[in-house]
Amino acid sequence: MKFNPAVQAPTRKDRRGSSVVPQPARRVLSRGRQVRSILNVAAAFIVSAAVIYASFLGVGPLPALGPAFNPVTGAWTMAGDAVVSDQTLHLAGLHKPVRVTVEKDGTAHVVAQTDHDLFLAVGYTHAKFRLFQMDLLRRQGEGRLAEVFGKAAVDSDKFELQLGLVRTAQSEWAALPADSPSHLAITAYAQGVNDRIAEAESQHQLPAMFTLVGYQPKPWTPIDSLIVKGDMTQTLNFTDTPLVMELLDNTLGPELTTKWFPVLPPNPQSPYDPGPYSAPTIAPIETMRQVTGAEAETASALYQRLSALPAGLIATGGASNNWAVASAKSVSGGALMAGDPHLHLTLPAIWFQITEDSPGFHTSGVGIPGTPVVLIGHNQHISWSLTDAQNQQTFFYEEREDAAHPDQYFWNGAWKTYTTVAYDIPVLGQQTQHLTVKLSVHGPVISERGLTTSVWWAGDLPSQDLDVLMRVGQASDWQEFRDALRGWLSPTHNFVYADDKGNIGLISAGYFPLVAKGQPWLPMPGTGEYDITGTIPYDAIPQAYDPPDDIIWSANQRQVTADYPYYIGTASNFFKPGYRANEIHRVLSRPGKLSAADMAALQTDTRDYLASEIVPILLHAIPSSPAKDLLATWDYRMETDSAAATIWWNFWQAYLAQTFDPYWKSRRVKVDRSEVNDALGQDLEAWTLAGIAPCPATACASTVDCFAPPCSSAELDADLTKALDASVKTLTSQLGPDPTKWTWGRVHTRVLENLAQIDGLNYGPRPDRGDANTPLAAPGFPSAHGPSWRMVVDWGAGTFQGIYPGGQSENPASAWYTDRAATWFKGGYAPMLTADEASSASGAKAWSLQP
Amino acid sequence: MRIAAAFVLGAAVSLAGVLVGAWWAPFTVGLAIGFVIPRARVAVPAGAVSGLLAWTLPLLAAHARYDLGPAARSLAAIMGFTHEPAIPIVLTCLVGLLLGTTGAWLGSAVSSLSPSGRGLARGA
Repeated sequence: MKFNPAVQAPTRKDRRGSSVVPQPARRVLSRGRQVRSILNVAAAFIVSAAVIYASFLGVGPLPALGPAFNPVTGAWTMAGDAVVSDQTLHLAGLHKPVRVTVEKDGTAHVVAQTDHDLFLAVGYTHAKFRLFQMDLLRRQGEGRLAEVFGKAAVDSDKFELQLGLVRTAQSEWAALPADSPSHLAITAYAQGVNDRIAEAESQHQLPAMFTLVGYQPKPWTPIDSLIVKGDMTQTLNFTDTPLVMELLDNTLGPELTTKWFPVLPPNPQSPYDPGPYSAPTIAPIETMRQVTGAEAETASALYQRLSALPAGLIATGGASNNWAVASAKSVSGGALMAGDPHLHLTLPAIWFQITEDSPGFHTSGVGIPGTPVVLIGHNQHISWSLTDAQNQQTFFYEEREDAAHPDQYFWNGAWKTYTTVAYDIPVLGQQTQHLTVKLSVHGPVISERGLTTSVWWAGDLPSQDLDVLMRVGQASDWQEFRDALRGWLSPTHNFVYADDKGNIGLISAGYFPLVAKGQPWLPMPGTGEYDITGTIPYDAIPQAYDPPDDIIWSANQRQVTADYPYYIGTASNFFKPGYRANEIHRVLSRPGKLSAADMAALQTDTRDYLASEIVPILLHAIPSSPAKDLLATWDYRMETDSAAATIWWNFWQAYLAQTFDPYWKSRRVKVDRSEVNDALGQDLEAWTLAGIAPCPATACASTVDCFAPPCSSAELDADLTKALDASVKTLTSQLGPDPTKWTWGRVHTRVLENLAQIDGLNYGPRPDRGDANTPLAAPGFPSAHGPSWRMVVDWGAGTFQGIYPGGQSENPASAWYTDRAATWFKGGYAPMLTADEASSASGAKAWSLQP
Repeated sequence: MRIAAAFVLGAAVSLAGVLVGAWWAPFTVGLAIGFVIPRARVAVPAGAVSGLLAWTLPLLAAHARYDLGPAARSLAAIMGFTHEPAIPIVLTCLVGLLLGTTGAWLGSAVSSLSPSGRGLARGA
């Protein structure tokens, strides 16, 4: 049928239903329309509500879409924030104009006419480039991560509030005289940070991560700077090793624990302070005792709790290198100095490179965003760098309690009431949690599962470390440098020193706790007799100045010989095995003079000292094979193209496993063996180097009921061969049958990890050289730990060079997020310019900060 | 004429709102468009286009000024799409589009409940 619109199509009026549809039908149609309209409204409302909900609050892993992706004020502002240009700014609190020059790589040079203005401008500059990082650091120490990240961060917050960084920072702030340099500095610094926060908020320039996570930074306070300093102390020297020792003692027994985890290192090491030492002033420490079941259960529970905390809250053996060469051994005729602190390699880095110039300060180097001073660097006369001294600064006490004395502990012959502090822990999306922290005279109670355990930690001692750092920055000779460090408490650091007169020095400044008696490497009774009585006198702590061989070095090794009269920690659990220190000492002590280029080469040295000791012995023991051929021609360098490096590393792991795993299995040791591999490795190294030990009266080496090192050449050779065979078998299965293709770079990579744990913002992983024992430290697979800053100073040539992995900006859209990484991987450096040099350098931007 | 004026005015207000940080402006403007133009077939596309423009034009301006490539790559990485920088761009445009669309839809739907609205919705 043909359609005739003139006949059949309803008129427009008809379509509106006013004339041709009968009344009953119209009512039906009207009701139908009403229903449809209502359904339409309901559908529109539901969909709109969903869109508005997602826009305001986010859905699942997505942030609140509206504020987060708003093209003008949301995360897209990171594009504009990444552009740094010449500008004039007005900052509240400034007294006089300040000039900030930003080099083309983002290095900042602040030139101020007053010290106050210097620190205010430094605060502004730090916040301009690192505000989110600074906020994370203070939130971590304050126990306020759950407020923005939710329940996943509650354990961290509880632990931090128990440990007490906030309490310490508040005490330090309260004790600071209002006219003290550090009081003035962190007050001005806070003003500068807040100036930037206000500016960023008004211009919608807050770092994108604030927008994406969905919160605004609160104003910065001077206490926040002290908390950030506390974070670093914690990550470097709050340890759980007494708990580890207690668990080892409980399962392996006191005899094996003493043998395998001794106070003094069993292997050959290179202490930098060989003595002579002053006479001891305290009673000698006791030998190992049998740990009770109750003690072990308590330690196990606490150990597991601490192990579950995020990385960085518990020190796991920091590592760093520094050394200096006196003018007499220097090609340039001036002192040389090198320093590379090894830390978790993050993006953004822990460091920010800056030059600070004012009437009172002329320092250049790196500092930690959140704190106003240069921590490692140089001024016009001296240079300095740090390594972790590793002495024991964490002690656990088992408090004696009694049901008849609730909320009390027994101490020095009397019952004493715990002090309590109550905290609220806001949790995103959940109810606020409440925490009450009990404090004994030893410190905070950290566990009440089993025996009540409190912790004495040097980081909880209120200190004036910031004042110390400011005085270090102003020192012009060794005497002033050493005097300044007298007040430094924690973390104990090996401060290396070189000056423009050709002098060098090293001092392990910090708090060296003295324990009246007992076994300080284990948790001790809290009844008073085992308390810490003070610190080793400053003149008796490890130190050296202008040593006769014109070199000085530290790499977390035990600083002193076995003759040192004080207990400073066990060799196994606090100090590193000494391989890096031995290699550095080996290179520095070779005949001839050294140059800055030699310093740089040593910082990227990949020679594994342990391999250089063990591989010759291994080659004597094993039969011919392709693996042996590779090892025989190896130079012990852990380079990415070296197959021998891979064979060596896997051999050593197999040798460790073969020797110790049977004991771990049969004794049900609750500590992961890999956690104490450094200690066990020293033992294995010493036994292997010794060749063969005297045979025990009754053979026992093949059982796990007793232990004895190999006592015949055949036994030692068999052990070495077995370990190599096991490693070759493993590598064949993992990397194929051709040993020449087992290159280190195939198994060993390095990664710079985004601080907010966003994998997509990492740099790498990429194949990289080095291992845990090489001066170019690269522990782990992939390695995320290593030289966080490399600096080489040549006072004779007047050259200063430095680099850290990453870049000055935390903004991932900025060219300065990772611009230094490639140069750092290659072992390169950048010159550390003065402010004047920087202002005339190409590509530099200038900020004029006006009152 | 009224439709065109409402659209132009709506788009301008949406854009102005977004520029001062009121990212939700396209939704409210969409609502208004829906009330003014209850015919959904007209109002919804008008709201959608105004929302899209309000969120896209500033993005284009920012790109012209700063190059949004690194920011797009970074946002994609943060979202877990490391090699897909287009995703945050599309998502951003989509948010603007949805805000405008849902606002207009809701406005026109509510408007159609009233007698005059019903009439208009039916094409009066």
